[in-house]
Amino acid sequence: MKGRGLIGWLMVGVLMMSTSCMKWEYGLEEEFDTSTSAEGLFICNEGNFQYGNSTLSYYDPITESVQNEVFYRANAMKLGDVAQSMTIRDGKGWVVVNNSHVVFAIDINTFREVGRITNLTSPRYMHFVSDTKAYITQLWDNRIFIVDPSRYQVTGYIECPGMTMESGSTEQMVQYGKYVYVNCWSYQNRILKIDTETDQVVDELVVGIQPTSLALDCNGKLWTLTDGGYEGSPYGHEAPSLYRIDAESFTIEQQFRFRFGDAPSEVQLNGTRDRLYWINRDIWEMDVTADRAPVRPFLPDNGTIYYGLTVCPRTGDVYIADAIDYVQPGMIYRYSREGKLLDEFYVGITPGAFSWK
Amino acid sequence: MKPICRYILSTLLSLLPTLMVAQESGRRDWSTRGISIPEVTVSAARTMKDIGTQQTSFDSTTLKENIALSMADVLTYNSSIFVKNYGRATLSTVAFRGTSPSHTQVSWNGMKINNPMLGMTDFSMIPSYFIDDASLLHGTSSVGETGGGLGGSVKLSTRPAAARGFGVQYIQGVGSFRTFDEFLRLTYGNKNWQVSTRAVYSSSPNEYKYRNHDKKENVYDSEMNIIDQYYPIERNRSGSYKDLHLLQEVYYNTCRGDRFGLNAWYINSNRELAMLTTDYGDDTEFDNRQREQTFRGVLSWDHLRKDWKVGAKAGYIYTWMAYDYKRDPGNGVMTSMTRSRSRVNTFYGRVDGEYYIGEKWLLTANLTAHQHIVESRDKNIIRQDGDRAIVGYRKGRIELSGSVSAKWRPIEPLGIVLVLREEMFGREWTPVIPALFVDGVLSKRGNVVAKASVSRNFRFPSLNDLYFLPGGNPDLRKESGWTYDVGVSFAVGREKLYSLSGSVNWFDSRVKDWIIWLPTPKGFFSPENVKDVHAYGVEMKADLEVTPATDWNLSLNGTFSWTPSINCGEPRTPADKSVGKQLPYVPEFSSSVTGRIGWRRWTFTYKWCYYSER
Repeated sequence: MKGRGLIGWLMVGVLMMSTSCMKWEYGLEEEFDTSTSAEGLFICNEGNFQYGNSTLSYYDPITESVQNEVFYRANAMKLGDVAQSMTIRDGKGWVVVNNSHVVFAIDINTFREVGRITNLTSPRYMHFVSDTKAYITQLWDNRIFIVDPSRYQVTGYIECPGMTMESGSTEQMVQYGKYVYVNCWSYQNRILKIDTETDQVVDELVVGIQPTSLALDCNGKLWTLTDGGYEGSPYGHEAPSLYRIDAESFTIEQQFRFRFGDAPSEVQLNGTRDRLYWINRDIWEMDVTADRAPVRPFLPDNGTIYYGLTVCPRTGDVYIADAIDYVQPGMIYRYSREGKLLDEFYVGITPGAFSWK
Repeated sequence: MKPICRYILSTLLSLLPTLMVAQESGRRDWSTRGISIPEVTVSAARTMKDIGTQQTSFDSTTLKENIALSMADVLTYNSSIFVKNYGRATLSTVAFRGTSPSHTQVSWNGMKINNPMLGMTDFSMIPSYFIDDASLLHGTSSVGETGGGLGGSVKLSTRPAAARGFGVQYIQGVGSFRTFDEFLRLTYGNKNWQVSTRAVYSSSPNEYKYRNHDKKENVYDSEMNIIDQYYPIERNRSGSYKDLHLLQEVYYNTCRGDRFGLNAWYINSNRELAMLTTDYGDDTEFDNRQREQTFRGVLSWDHLRKDWKVGAKAGYIYTWMAYDYKRDPGNGVMTSMTRSRSRVNTFYGRVDGEYYIGEKWLLTANLTAHQHIVESRDKNIIRQDGDRAIVGYRKGRIELSGSVSAKWRPIEPLGIVLVLREEMFGREWTPVIPALFVDGVLSKRGNVVAKASVSRNFRFPSLNDLYFLPGGNPDLRKESGWTYDVGVSFAVGREKLYSLSGSVNWFDSRVKDWIIWLPTPKGFFSPENVKDVHAYGVEMKADLEVTPATDWNLSLNGTFSWTPSINCGEPRTPADKSVGKQLPYVPEFSSSVTGRIGWRRWTFTYKWCYYSER
């Protein structure tokens, strides 16, 4: 009988220990107010795929101060897995979190969430057509999602030709008149033209293999960079190129070829949209009217793989994201338009995309 | 890495064999109360095979005390090595001494079972019910068995059941969230033959409610303004699994010095990959799943004589793996977003021999061959010409590994071993891999034994490292390293009262050309030789058994490791702060404790493990 009693007490002990080992880390909502700062730069830090550790950083160029993890600190919840891009419109920042299948809308001064769009496949970029209509491009889906940002709802789809779900890839968008242009990247080689009135693809233009990014300059010219694929790819492998495309006629005006094996990316424009920047190991700069690509870089490579690039629309300062080893917090370098280092600061893991307030 | 802190695994009812047949019952008294066998101290001369090795062996109590566990769980709670897992029936990898999982070589009945594509082994696919002997060979000690174990190696094996006549064992485990584990073993044995059939079937919908603190649910007013937020209670519906394992063993012993064995193991696994807690997708619209079918078979022959022994083994592994990521686009049909398939065929052969020259020398030699044929089909695409194509690769590689060793015991307290190993992967040879082991008895009274060893080692890139599309890098160099070990162990006790044993071991190892996958500007990952790593530290373990009174038994087993694993490479950029620091996701400290209180046939077990955060 003594033995049975002991067993009973042991069972009670086990239950008590089992219930005492839970520990949660609750976050507190922090108050931010950046409404007084004239300009600000958001940095989307992708984090590591499947780790759910993407973060959002905010940099004030005037005071040269940075705040990291502002989404988590303001909302007491995680941003999610792979913050891919951010678009700002009318005081709201729309953060596209790719592998969390969500787009968060935040107040750009308080960083507090004001809404979210879900039911997405693998969102990449968001483009506003109007206050009540926006497009969200996708990876692994042959559709571009049409959403109503005012209601945070998916309202329809744009079917993209020549893709299946598995080979689907639509990326960055720019608008010229009533047409939105989108580059198709992964195992693709096209720029699609979408009529925003009918929400249909009305034309497409074949460029080189895997156009990575897209920009529209002050002269109505589209600029896209192809990465040329990779060695062994059944889709092909070629020298990458920079293309200038006339948006009106939707034809290629000029092709600037890079060396075979180069990996250019991140075509960007300055505030007046007359100077072009991109990454190709170094940072390069070119006038949008130039007929030949530059032979010397704007900023030489310092031994890393630059992962993101933006130009301040007001000052022309150039910001470069250095993901270092993609595991530790990345570094942002800020250069003047003359190429002088002005500031540098650490942000989150794998900084990739920027958005100006 | 999240710390796995203070997990309590309480095996309250350690009633292992609940149904045994063909067992004659005796007096009612002990058949109901059980027999408490007093502790027996077994004394034997130190074997020459283990001179100088740092080895952790797991006894049958450890392996079978909770048969619902996988080998990953067993290693987590009973050793100091780092077991990384994401929950039950999810990828579980094992790493020694601050190295990576691909630096751990794993063998089953002598045949290497590391996936040749990935280089590592998923321990969640190894039920402890199928393993009769398991041991860890730390650092240099692995060179005597195999090459490539820059961290160490794990030896897993089965053995004859020692059955007489027919036997049946059936056990059912029932767990939370409708988790069921079924175990069945049929045995037959006589003087010459031992036949065993084991089956394990584990399944769970793994469906449970939890409050998600990584998300908040929004409450909107009619103008779509957020008027409230809260951490939602969610139901995990995306982590179900069904795993079937079958193991057939046939052993024949001629009783005249020849033994033959057949081991055949079949795995059929179907596992969902649970959504992240930060995933806002509808779990009914997505299907993220991996499936695997694996067959492993080994034929063995051992010929034993008084002073020598030869053996031969032949084996075959077939693995089919499928990964599917699907979404319902709205038409009710799950459509593939990613459809990945891989097939691995491995042919294995091994010959080995041992020869004793008197009582002071033991010479050994072995040669092992693995031929891998791998096909990876990762993505279906539409080419520029409109045709369909598949992104993937198909490669073969032969791997040879041979070693000779001389083990010398000039006087009883001292043992010295020299091992020379040579490996060839594809067409590339390693330089000669030397390993030297020395041990000596410092005190017979406390069984104090000091050990020291030094070895060089190499690890070749896996096939995915070399050929995966996109990103495979055929220009990778093999990783290499030197490891030094020094340790001391002791064992004391008093019969029927207590026994205490322990060991402490210092190691120091440097790995050059560490292979790591990094993103490229083209949007995919690619492996590079980047880091020189200095891993060093201390491993300690202690075991205490106490018999305080008749019918009572107390035991306490503990391990502790301090394993700094420092990046000694060049900074990748001026901003790189990782140089001189611990590698990410590698814990610097780890520890485990198991305590047991036994009373007759009842056992209360408390298990705890800890990994520091990095």
